[in-house]
Amino acid sequence: MIELYHISKQYQEGQWALLDINLHVLKGDFWFITGPSGSGKSTLLKIIFREILPSRGQIVIDGINILRLPDHRIYRLRRSMGIVFQDFRLVFHKKVFENVAIGLHVLGVPLKEVRRRVFNALRLVNLHQKMWEYPSHLSYGEQQRVAIARAVVNEPQILLADEPTGNLDPELASEIMSVFKEINKQGTTVIICSHDKELIRHFGDKILFLFKGKIIGKEVLPSSKR
Amino acid sequence: MRDAQNNLWQYRARNLLSVTIICLSFLILGVFFSLSNNLQHVADEMSESMVVVFFLSPDITAKDLSHIEERIKASPSVVRVTYVGRQQAWERFQKNFPELQEILKNLGTNPFPPSFEATLQKGSFRSDDILGFIEEIKNVTGVEDVQFNRDWVRKMQSLSRLARAIGFFLGGILILASFIIISNVIRLNVFARKAEIEILRLVGATNTFIRLPFLIEGITLGILGSLLSLGLIFLLIELFPLYLGHSLGALQEIVGFRYLSLSQSLSLIVGGALMGVLGSMSSLSRFLKI
Repeated sequence: MIELYHISKQYQEGQWALLDINLHVLKGDFWFITGPSGSGKSTLLKIIFREILPSRGQIVIDGINILRLPDHRIYRLRRSMGIVFQDFRLVFHKKVFENVAIGLHVLGVPLKEVRRRVFNALRLVNLHQKMWEYPSHLSYGEQQRVAIARAVVNEPQILLADEPTGNLDPELASEIMSVFKEINKQGTTVIICSHDKELIRHFGDKILFLFKGKIIGKEVLPSSKR
Repeated sequence: MRDAQNNLWQYRARNLLSVTIICLSFLILGVFFSLSNNLQHVADEMSESMVVVFFLSPDITAKDLSHIEERIKASPSVVRVTYVGRQQAWERFQKNFPELQEILKNLGTNPFPPSFEATLQKGSFRSDDILGFIEEIKNVTGVEDVQFNRDWVRKMQSLSRLARAIGFFLGGILILASFIIISNVIRLNVFARKAEIEILRLVGATNTFIRLPFLIEGITLGILGSLLSLGLIFLLIELFPLYLGHSLGALQEIVGFRYLSLSQSLSLIVGGALMGVLGSMSSLSRFLKI
């Protein structure tokens, strides 16, 4: 599904944010990428959704080398992905419904279908009762769940999440992680960056350990499906 | 479309400002077009019925009269010759300038000489041959003076061109200002929606999908501005004569405004839309790298 070959990224001369990363993610996998701050977790995610280009290496997603995609074709790659950011990136002057529906509008989905899918996505994160509220009226955890609903509403093949439980209390973090597990069960490949050891221990199937841009370990836990 | 509508409403103060500036720019251009149209119309009317008046001696003999008439008729540039007798000239003056009747009465005598009015073929006044013909008739016995207002037509045409040039110059400067304003308004709107644009990019929106609302906003501002200016020009044309009254007399014709032609009106609207598109695009290409 996602194949990374010798991926390296250098932001500044002599400083490697990532160095020689090789990883094969299979369809339906649930991966955690973990490591301390500055280990290159976010950089790796950004490279996968082609926000940034690596300095070296190749990435193949579903048989397509995404580094060879011309800029005007990147939107096709992004349509197959759902992305959750640590800072949520919600549009605060739009209601929860509109925030979640944004990806469906882009796809030109008819309004009736948009309503159905947005409702289902919000129900998945248990926020369907707050569909017509503004994000600013929601709690931190609820805003995070809106971001997750937005990422899953178009039923992406790949779900990428960057520290989705950062700053959440353990109970809420666990709740959100359960949502990711649920989405994963429906066949979506999930890659989550997190440094929450407790969460990884509890939910992790496959874990990639990064340190200073290098892979220092990979672990496939017994609970893993594969 | 809905996004564009929302943005137009959400940032209505700055959008209203840009519509006003666009409106004023096109108003200036339109007013000068209108003035120019009027001057051109006056020039056209003058040239359509371009008449050379040959004033005759009051005591001209019948033989000289018929000789002069034949000489005038012989010119291929003349389409019609009309004799205006002294009494007829008097009556015509009284009719055209009733306010000067008292002066005529005080004179006691009829000061108007008889004349031949030679109507020239359309466009023939531009030829210099006509001057030779006039000179020739002027030297015939019994002809005392000649009145030929060719220079007036030329002056009207020059004034019309001048009005248009001033319109283009002032309008051009203001249109450039409007372009910059539209560009900046769209830039502010892009900045205001930066977070949303970022999300749109991440959920796989195409460049066109992201840019279209801004382009629609620009076009709407441009068209609204130009339509408003057309409305104001219409009002100006309707109300200006009422404001002016009849004090200017014959000058009224020259100083008036004339409606813009359909092509001129459409040009203003299309110009507004085009300015909107260009203003938006210049901003999007600089501030919306996708």
